[in-house]
Amino acid sequence: MSTSLALHDPVVRTYALMIAAALVLAGVVLSLLTFVAKKPVPSIWATYRGWLVIVPVIFGALVLGRTATIVVFSLVALAGFKELACATGLYRDWWLTGVVYIAIAAQAFVAWIIDPYTGQLGWFGMFRTLPVYAIAAILMVPILRNRTQGQLQAVSLAILGFLYVAWMFGHLLFLASSDHPYGYLLYLIVAVELNDVAAFTFGKIFGRHKLRSEISPNKTWEGSLGALAVSMAMPWLLAFSFPHFGAREKILTGLIVGIGGQLGDLSISVIKRDLGLKDMGAALPGHGGVLDRIDSLIYTAPLFLHMVHWFHGLYGVR
Amino acid sequence: MDADWRYEPLSDVGKSLAESLRDFPREPHMWMYGARSAAALALRGWLRVVQRLGVTGRENLPAEGSFVLVANHSSHWDALCLLSLLPLGRLHRAFPAAAADYFFTDLPRSAVSAILVNALPFDRRGRGRESLALCRHVLEMPGHVLILFPEGTRSADGALADFKPGVGLVVAGTSIPVVPCHISGAYRSWPRDRVLPRPTRLSVVIGAARRYPHVPEGKDGALVVAADLRQAVLDLEEKSNA
Repeated sequence: MSTSLALHDPVVRTYALMIAAALVLAGVVLSLLTFVAKKPVPSIWATYRGWLVIVPVIFGALVLGRTATIVVFSLVALAGFKELACATGLYRDWWLTGVVYIAIAAQAFVAWIIDPYTGQLGWFGMFRTLPVYAIAAILMVPILRNRTQGQLQAVSLAILGFLYVAWMFGHLLFLASSDHPYGYLLYLIVAVELNDVAAFTFGKIFGRHKLRSEISPNKTWEGSLGALAVSMAMPWLLAFSFPHFGAREKILTGLIVGIGGQLGDLSISVIKRDLGLKDMGAALPGHGGVLDRIDSLIYTAPLFLHMVHWFHGLYGVR
Repeated sequence: MDADWRYEPLSDVGKSLAESLRDFPREPHMWMYGARSAAALALRGWLRVVQRLGVTGRENLPAEGSFVLVANHSSHWDALCLLSLLPLGRLHRAFPAAAADYFFTDLPRSAVSAILVNALPFDRRGRGRESLALCRHVLEMPGHVLILFPEGTRSADGALADFKPGVGLVVAGTSIPVVPCHISGAYRSWPRDRVLPRPTRLSVVIGAARRYPHVPEGKDGALVVAADLRQAVLDLEEKSNA
């Protein structure tokens, strides 16, 4: 990944055109609704304005190169963990929060350096071992401070925060080091968001039966199945992202995004319901918190990476 | 499942930055403590080198327990000078009461007031009672410092105005120490109508702590306390001039 590679890469150019066209089209539709049909949709405008910030940041990082991508995605992981820590109250414990921050920085470093054994970009073996060291460090905190009160909860939340938010999301850092960084990353991010949009749209139009009434009362089976159908079609529609994928990989990609994306969404909803919160934060106006935005990516990134690694090898050498 | 698990989300979850900066009490954010400590170090350097800040009576500052600092008010220097008297470790538990209608109106001002100064947003209009309750709440915590300017606003001519009774409503009938201070040179360096300060000398005189356990709570007691503190600050001014 580098700026000149990115600018000449047909995959990057195609996605840039597609995303720009989608944003313009959405802007036109929203303007027509607001100014011609006189149906004000302020909340959708807020979400749209949010996208106008998110898209250039993510795209800019990808175009700048691997280091910028690792830095930006690691900061997103950090922000996501911080939201979970604030929402659960773990953040008041600066020691445990600090240890997880350091683990996230270590994860970024491990993703950035060259594997000392294979010479590949990113030390993948160490990344997969990182949870061991992170959990060991987290468990040491109450021992060093000679404390027991409330420590089971604090330590559990720190481990959940690192593994679930930072480490699972961190698999994106290694997609950035793979032999198809643009295709994998752009496909995954776009497909996951489309899956979200499809679930919302199908749910609005056909929604009758609640999917998980206790967890997320607005989601319906109709929306969910519609999203799955869209997600199963996407690998064929965007097949240029991974020309080496056969039908088997495409089907698996569709299932990972179509089912995994929705499970990721519901997983954050379980946590939010239990905490009694509507959003995990207010970092992204119109989107809620960072975690509300990346919930599906957290769940799908590791599944997608390991599927790719199983069939093709992350670096194309398997 | 362990029945003892209890989640206590931070009070600013789901609030925008501008809203959470206006919130009080403030949640302990690492980045905020870091920025505040760094700013305090820079400010202390500036006060010592450029403004040649002189301090007398440092031994009058209680080393432990909560207390109130009270001083004359003619400049933005006042709160910054008093903050710089405290040990760095106490910085995050020291709260200058600042007018909400001036210091917390927009995002840049709120950011400076909340992050760098750690100000307590004091509502001068309408909800003064709630703000005084907030002041009392701050002092209930161990080791907290409340910084009050009982004149209520920066003096227009540098002279000491009347003290409003609010400070008395907070401390009358309690044994919380109130430390009177007099700041001189601040008006000449940075009066109301100047945007940036002049690099002229500042000095602070710290008086002996006063306590008001036997003054009755309520309006009358509060006036007694306010008058007594005003006299104490005037005495320090004389001492400072002598």
